[in-house]
Amino acid sequence: MTIDFHWRLPTHGCHSSIRRGNYDRGDWSPPGPENLAPGLDRAGGDDGYRYIDHLAQIAKAAESAGFQGGLIPSFPNTDDPWVISPLLARETSTFRFMIAFQPGFGNPVHTARAAASLQRATGGRLLFNIITGGGGPAQLWWGDSFAHDDRYGRTDEWLDVFKGVWNNRGFTYRGRFYEVADGGLPPLLAAEDFPEIWFSGSSDAALRVASNHADYYLSWLEPFDQLFDKFARVKEKTAALGRRQKCAIRVDLVARRTEEEAWRDIRLGFENVSDETRQRWRGQATDSVGASRQAALRPTEATRWDDLIVAPNLWGGFSLLRGGPALGIVGSYEQCAAKLDELIQGGADGFILAGTPHLEEAYRVGEEVLPLLGRSAPALREAAE
Amino acid sequence: MTIRTYWQIDPAAEPRRLEPSTRRANGIVTPLRGPAPNRFGYYAQIAEAAAQTAFDGLFVAHRAEADESRIVAAALAREVRRLELVAEFPASVGSAVYAAKQATTFQRGAHGRFAWAIAPDGDARSRAREGDLVPEDRLGRRLDEFLTVARGVHAERPFTFTGEHFEVENGGFEAPLNRAPFPTVFLQGESEEALDLSARHADVHLLRAGPIDRLAALAESLDTLAKRADRSVAVGLLQPVLVRETEEEARLEANRAGRALGTLVGSYDTVAARLAELAALGVTHFVLSAEPALEEAYRVGQHVLPRLRARLAQTHAAA
Repeated sequence: MTIDFHWRLPTHGCHSSIRRGNYDRGDWSPPGPENLAPGLDRAGGDDGYRYIDHLAQIAKAAESAGFQGGLIPSFPNTDDPWVISPLLARETSTFRFMIAFQPGFGNPVHTARAAASLQRATGGRLLFNIITGGGGPAQLWWGDSFAHDDRYGRTDEWLDVFKGVWNNRGFTYRGRFYEVADGGLPPLLAAEDFPEIWFSGSSDAALRVASNHADYYLSWLEPFDQLFDKFARVKEKTAALGRRQKCAIRVDLVARRTEEEAWRDIRLGFENVSDETRQRWRGQATDSVGASRQAALRPTEATRWDDLIVAPNLWGGFSLLRGGPALGIVGSYEQCAAKLDELIQGGADGFILAGTPHLEEAYRVGEEVLPLLGRSAPALREAAE
Repeated sequence: MTIRTYWQIDPAAEPRRLEPSTRRANGIVTPLRGPAPNRFGYYAQIAEAAAQTAFDGLFVAHRAEADESRIVAAALAREVRRLELVAEFPASVGSAVYAAKQATTFQRGAHGRFAWAIAPDGDARSRAREGDLVPEDRLGRRLDEFLTVARGVHAERPFTFTGEHFEVENGGFEAPLNRAPFPTVFLQGESEEALDLSARHADVHLLRAGPIDRLAALAESLDTLAKRADRSVAVGLLQPVLVRETEEEARLEANRAGRALGTLVGSYDTVAARLAELAALGVTHFVLSAEPALEEAYRVGQHVLPRLRARLAQTHAAA
């Protein structure tokens, strides 16, 4: 069986180098003369390019470099994946759009219609990263006041309805949160493939819902033993329901020709982190279990970059360089490939990789790292053949 | 007076056009090579037709049985770089905060060309099919709250709201999202309640085609209500047309094909004259429609719109 490799579309701007903290691609930092999308034309005026034009470049780079598609994250101050995907649908060929989505935000029947339309617009290139939300003030910002376990109950029902109207005519459902009478997608829309579901969430409530609905159970990178243990539990739970659960990992990497070059970029990036950035990441309130598993790494307290090396080629400070998980892979092309091999042996069936800048690194990782996979684990290659 | 003209894309119309599943090989015509085109290729061609024949925008209708309008509009936004894109959808889509947030990405990516048309709510059975549990007598209230919250999170930070249908605490968009203009809002409906809601929330109120006296009366009620709310609301019209070079050909075609209620049937000249008359009455936004949408976009855009513009310029000069 082969492994699906996805990339990420950064929806909160991008940096032209991992060494720098300012977003000089997009308009999330005050634009200077070196800014792109929007940038300046020769007369010093607005050049008319927008951040979507840069995202188009990244999506095309990812498909050229051999990635299946990309995760399109959604947070309060990001651009939105439901709009990015159709905007880029007709200028990409194979790129699969992985929409990060909190089910509570859309009526499941209308969302099914929109999803089937996107399948039709893209020739079946849609998939989902279903998230249930971190809770706390962020959830109220979105206008969602459900408590943690209720939110998973709602996600469960939402997916029942979403799948139900896709696969049935005359679909009727009575749940705690949703009711439908005699629903169902019209035949032309229902003929589309039901999109693959990548499911995130680390609590017990999340794992239960994942067993019911997920094609891939998706986790941030965690210390390997802890992660493999979680994968084993998820696979076991789903096996009890008679299905095989695939697992996947979201991870950033800094892959360079030599290990020294990779750590040098990490060091320079770390030294450029402002106090304000540390403060911001420190203060985020959430009741997400996944976030607290990562927060145990405490990157905001580190005074030296190398205090955050948690294992060979694993660095726990990525959240200081950009939003998202703390732990990532750092090393030479060979070392990065070996780490990915190790993760595959530990139960990973898919990956969402990322590197900064997302455009150039898509080519680098696609051209330099992915071809080296399987070298450190001949057994894997045999299994794939 | 400046008017704006929109061409309608009805995703449910002409269901055989570019649906690969409806194309049958007959053993005589050589099958196509390369990746199969899909339905969105047809939408794109209608959009390009409207752009090349100098319409100001596209109106993508909401049809429960067909492709979702906001997906269609977004898929077209980067193909036609000038047209305004009005997507019609019901207020039952879900979270108002999320709808407003999605609109910011559309506006940022498409240079502010996006507009919302809120579709009229369906009857009780169709709402139940949609999983929409809001009772009949609360639908107006839901739409009122939907627009209040959507505009609120866009314009203010922090924004807090507690209503019957929506609740937000310490919400509101930050830079750069809040720099995008809020979409132009088109509302519909001819009841007292609908007109009153438009007076408070709409940028454009869309009327259905009909007798000119009735349109005039509705436009006047709307104007009175809007003044009371200290606002002004533009009047739009959903106008199906059937035009041919001559009056006789148009009538012949109308008898043959059947037509939507209120369709304006006539020659290029008479239809342009009638639209000019409606413009004199105060209609500024014309959503024109005909099938097949591609061929008829050329007919209307190439022959009727220039005549309409000439008439409006004359009226303007006379005044």
